[in-house]
Amino acid sequence: MRFRFVLVLSSMAIAATPIAARQAPKGAPPSKQAPAAAAAKPPAFVVDKLWPMPLPNHWVYGSITGLAIDSRDHVFVATRPASVAAGNEAGLMSNPVTAEYCCLAAPPMLEFDAAGKLIASWGGPAKEGPNKEKEYDWPVSTGGIAVDDKGNIWITAAGVPEPAAVAAGATGVVPGAARAGGAAAPAAGAPAAPAAAAATPPANAGRGRGEATVIPGAEGAPVAPASGRGNAGPPAPADAHILKFTRDGKFLMQIGKAGATGPRDSKTTLDKPADVFIDNAANELYVADGGANQRVVVFDATTGAFKRQWTGHGGDFLRISSITVSKDGQVYVGDRKGNKVQVFKKDGAFVKDLEVAKGTLTNGSVWDVSLSNDAKQTWLFVADGQNSTVRVFNRDTLAPAGTIGDGGRWPGRFYAVNNLAMDSKGNLFTGEGYEGKRVQKFVKK
Amino acid sequence: MLKKLSLAIFATAFVGLTVPTSGAQSDLVMAPKFEVDPNFPLELPKHWVTGMSVGVAVDEQDHVWMVHRPPTISTNERGADQDPPTGECCTSAPPVMEFDQTGKLLRHWGGQVAGAPYEWPLSNHGLWIDKKGIVWIGANHNSDSHILKFTKDGKFIAQFGKAGAPTNSNDPVNFGSPAKIMVDDTRNEAYIADGYRNKRVVVIDTETGARKRTWGAYGNVPDDASLGRYVPGEKPTQQFRGPVHCAMLSADDLVYVCDRQSNRVQVFTREGKFVSEMIIAPKTGGDGSIWDIAFSKDPAQKWMFIADGKNERVYIVDRKKMEMVSSFGDGGRQPGQWFGAHSIAIDSKGNLYTVETYEGRRLQKFVYKGEQMVPRWQGVPWPVKK
Repeated sequence: MRFRFVLVLSSMAIAATPIAARQAPKGAPPSKQAPAAAAAKPPAFVVDKLWPMPLPNHWVYGSITGLAIDSRDHVFVATRPASVAAGNEAGLMSNPVTAEYCCLAAPPMLEFDAAGKLIASWGGPAKEGPNKEKEYDWPVSTGGIAVDDKGNIWITAAGVPEPAAVAAGATGVVPGAARAGGAAAPAAGAPAAPAAAAATPPANAGRGRGEATVIPGAEGAPVAPASGRGNAGPPAPADAHILKFTRDGKFLMQIGKAGATGPRDSKTTLDKPADVFIDNAANELYVADGGANQRVVVFDATTGAFKRQWTGHGGDFLRISSITVSKDGQVYVGDRKGNKVQVFKKDGAFVKDLEVAKGTLTNGSVWDVSLSNDAKQTWLFVADGQNSTVRVFNRDTLAPAGTIGDGGRWPGRFYAVNNLAMDSKGNLFTGEGYEGKRVQKFVKK
Repeated sequence: MLKKLSLAIFATAFVGLTVPTSGAQSDLVMAPKFEVDPNFPLELPKHWVTGMSVGVAVDEQDHVWMVHRPPTISTNERGADQDPPTGECCTSAPPVMEFDQTGKLLRHWGGQVAGAPYEWPLSNHGLWIDKKGIVWIGANHNSDSHILKFTKDGKFIAQFGKAGAPTNSNDPVNFGSPAKIMVDDTRNEAYIADGYRNKRVVVIDTETGARKRTWGAYGNVPDDASLGRYVPGEKPTQQFRGPVHCAMLSADDLVYVCDRQSNRVQVFTREGKFVSEMIIAPKTGGDGSIWDIAFSKDPAQKWMFIADGKNERVYIVDRKKMEMVSSFGDGGRQPGQWFGAHSIAIDSKGNLYTVETYEGRRLQKFVYKGEQMVPRWQGVPWPVKK
């Protein structure tokens, strides 16, 4: 207990912030149970600052793109090795090697037991056959993941996400401090666009700023991280598919094909799918299909055959990010840039909207949606990566019930909180994108 | 000899019983042991976030001070600072922050104030608090040619050097992106690790800023010619490659200089006469391995702690023997790990503090657990989980 820090669920005080949204459910009559439900208190969480255990082999995480927890409470993590800057953070994998002791990017798929010990790691490009054929297309960038009741892992090939927005205001000029004749202050502070990482030099490569030397040439050309597929050569075809593996990394199935997109109502192609949810009882796979498609599409989980699809209610999703289905058959779809969650029935019939911090610009407020694991799934959690917090809502009334965490790099705080998952005990796990690059555990009190 | 041997056997056997280690017992050595305190510091208020954190110092009250670079926080991370705001979170913390021993935030200040008689650095770098309680701040932007003195309340005292002034390693007035300052309180002298553009140690009078002594590697007259990129196995260069990232005076009046990208510490007398050198992690390229130094708190300063923000370690060096005995830490964003372990400081109890630049951006505390039999690499120094 000594190392845990209590996070107070800040009630509705967020409404005091100018751009805070007053989340009012729209499109549905007020629930009869609202008064009783409003009285319910969401669970309190404390961050476990020592979970998971340090990775072995001097591995460091890339941006986290997906989290899933299986029936054994093992936590699966999808991380993006290509987002690790070989030039400064991972000198053991730069070419030439620039470090003696540390570090290397961790493999893209990691499995932890409940104690936080890494027990397996896998993922990466498929081996080529004699005719250059590949068993599957490993994603340029993974996205959301899911684990089914057989313990198999579903992985979206979500494409490289948009970079962190960097506007003029991010440049290094302290207000009033710009000087004639001084070197232009570069936007050196901007984190290497997360993603982008593939071609982005380390944030500090600029002369005289950061830790890079001012000796011309001494720093050398920044070493680009390994490409998404881990091979040099022509750019890989764009992500447009979903992969299924056993939990120890044996390939089982692929839906869609890298580089092959189709019309928005295609029954066989996808476009940078962002997230997946597996409905075990119905044996259906729900996909938040991104890119130009911006739709929900449902497949038969065994055959991969198309079953149905729908698009946003009242206009397209601006940037679909996440999907989850409740035990009572409601489908929650996160629209990141739309700053909203849309709720549907399993057949796609619209139920209601939840606006989340609706004044949020740039990357939007709804990065992932998740439900509490009590029988009624009383609480809806929204990962708000732009505002660096996890928002809790009463699932029935959609009334805001608090937030967890705040911005920052210390344990219990967030930068770009991107993923949520809950274990059987009700503990909440988060993954962070951009330069957050952590998995954190929040213990239910 | 026999006595020494039996003692060693006793010690290793004892440790072998109590501390499970995977390494062979003969790998254990007697060295300081530390444990990260994941609860230090306490949470910052007001949705404050930090940028690259590039200076840490401990004052006479054992308060811990840090300096970071607000301009390095991307718009994406500080939406509430934008006009108009793009989100509810976050805003930049002030550049200079003071914490007490419990990790509670006390004073905080810094940045350019309109009409103020000083030039706040374009890129903060390095922090020192002298025994009078004066806060010294360095600066490493290409056009930062100065250092600043403030009271602990953030009241301006003095500026030495002029922002934007051209300089070289024999400049009597200005500095070349000075990385760190250390004050010799008994002699009213400040040792400036100068720096990113200049390649020298310069000693100044703390009151007037007047230059007293200057030297380069091996005590040579400094020279600013580019030395090119470090190549493992190269013949040691006769000048600092730089950045000259620290210049720390020991209790026995030796000056330890971080020549970061040459992966070496050079030791001098107070007058700049070369004494010895030590190379650590010689395969390290890029940013180099020798970032900052703190001395242990025993009167003899038996140990020297060196932060390496490239390999993400703190090296524990026997100062007299100039021999690395052990090390701890690793890369990562969890407690006890680093991304860009930039600066290191020690309090009166022997606890260490680090700050990270790049995307680490944290102040961390490492609690001193005494000298113990430890492995050559202690790994990530986590406390035992309760």
